[in-house]
Amino acid sequence: MARIYVIDDDEQLLRMVGLMLERGGHSVTLINNPVKGLEEIRANKPDLLVLDVMMPDMSGHDIARQIRATPGLENLPILVLTARSQQIDKETALASGANDYLSKPVTSQELIERVDNLLSQKSILVPGASKGLIVAFYGLRGGVGRTTLAVNLAGALRRLSQEEICLVDLSPSCGQAAMHLRLQTRSSWAELPTASEVEWPILKNRLLIHPSGLRLLASPLDPKAPSMPSAELTQRVLNLLRDRMAVTIVDLPPVYSPAFEAAMEAADVGLHVIGPDVISVQTAVQLNRKLVKLGITFRQKSYILNQTSAEAQLPPATVERGLNARVAFQISYDTHQARALAQGVPLTLTSAKSPLPILMHRMADVLWHRVAQKSG
Amino acid sequence: MAGGLGRTQFINLDLFTDAYRVTGRAEVGTGGIHAELGNPNSNFLEIQDAYISRIHKPGLIVASYKVAAFRKENINFIVLQDRREGIPVGTQHGRSIFTRGRPMPAFLTVPSFEIMGEIIHEGKFTPRDILVQSIGRFQLIFSAKASASLFPEISYSGDLILVHKDRIGIFCLGDST
Repeated sequence: MARIYVIDDDEQLLRMVGLMLERGGHSVTLINNPVKGLEEIRANKPDLLVLDVMMPDMSGHDIARQIRATPGLENLPILVLTARSQQIDKETALASGANDYLSKPVTSQELIERVDNLLSQKSILVPGASKGLIVAFYGLRGGVGRTTLAVNLAGALRRLSQEEICLVDLSPSCGQAAMHLRLQTRSSWAELPTASEVEWPILKNRLLIHPSGLRLLASPLDPKAPSMPSAELTQRVLNLLRDRMAVTIVDLPPVYSPAFEAAMEAADVGLHVIGPDVISVQTAVQLNRKLVKLGITFRQKSYILNQTSAEAQLPPATVERGLNARVAFQISYDTHQARALAQGVPLTLTSAKSPLPILMHRMADVLWHRVAQKSG
Repeated sequence: MAGGLGRTQFINLDLFTDAYRVTGRAEVGTGGIHAELGNPNSNFLEIQDAYISRIHKPGLIVASYKVAAFRKENINFIVLQDRREGIPVGTQHGRSIFTRGRPMPAFLTVPSFEIMGEIIHEGKFTPRDILVQSIGRFQLIFSAKASASLFPEISYSGDLILVHKDRIGIFCLGDST
């Protein structure tokens, strides 16, 4: 979370830009007077300034010039936002000391992307610019609510930390993470180039942004070939995200593939999602054997027993006996989940106090504590 | 974009007189700025939050006023970033009277500027016919670029430029030979 100051004499626009940046997870200070704004910037030294050009008393160009002449503010990223949209205006803005330029009207996505881009150049996106955590939700039994849990944990982490959190949906097609978040799948992992060609700006352009600020690498809406990303591409994407995100949550489809293996190798925390039924326990045991054989181990691994229907086939004790391991988290059937799906808002981003969001917030607390320790 | 029937909205525009560029906001109805310019009840166009620059230094703001009024006959041209702010472009059922017809490249000059872009016209393609038959006192040039005659490195692009017909010096159609 960065401290961003916005200076614009148009109060309505000021509020709108403030709202967009807050949704992007930043702490925003709005100032409608350019002279007062310059004083406050000199006194408080924010992380970034969004500046209008056309203001009475003092133009944005004058403010930018004075900021550049102030010791300690020479490197403050300045994004100019103005109705003057000609090339000559862009050149004038850059010449006066601005780092980037956006023409009004501006979309939320455009603004957040430019701001994040300027902030990432300054390396303040992740506290201490340390490497982030990768959490994989996996299991070879379908229909056990893995995507629901991944989406909700990502939402809870975003809400708790206000840091950069990314959800990666590696489903072959018609991935449901975007639907859970009611996001239009205008880009997905299927549009990424080969592993050797993927760089952060390319990947960043493929990430969708939820109004909460949560980022999503969606799966393609239409079935496409290849049906899964390659192991190299998966590895590359996760490495790039690890460098820039505080936490990356990977939702793995119930299909064993090279991408599945690559994601499992990259993950720091593995959350094996199972249902209270015989097939779920049997597939979990088989998968564990396979992972042990391949030498894939996590620094931390936990079972989540998620009950997605009103009746459970097996009691938790029987599941644990079958797995020969303890189930770390149990989630009982949550009647609110159907409504959350229909509304396209994950329960952890609402004020719901039902079993699923309560547990997800608890998990988010534990994980964030770990991230804080890692970066501290 | 124009709103519903009877609704008004503010649009951003760049307006040019002989020696000045003025950036500001104008209140327009569903007919866009073209309808405001053609309004016979007023010879003036009012711009709010007007920021004034000289043509040879268009990035430098020399003065700003909450409101500025312009005599319509002294406006050379107006640059818009979205044609929907200038004219009604039509609905899903068909094109409006302004966007019906064939496109044709055009070159024209006004004091201090030369403008290149596209004219959309239904009927005989001669400069005279176009100027006579097109509606209003301002000629519509789509996907246009205006360059300062004495400072060709200074140019302004817009989805639509409205050029005052009385200020036109040279008017040519088709591609340059």
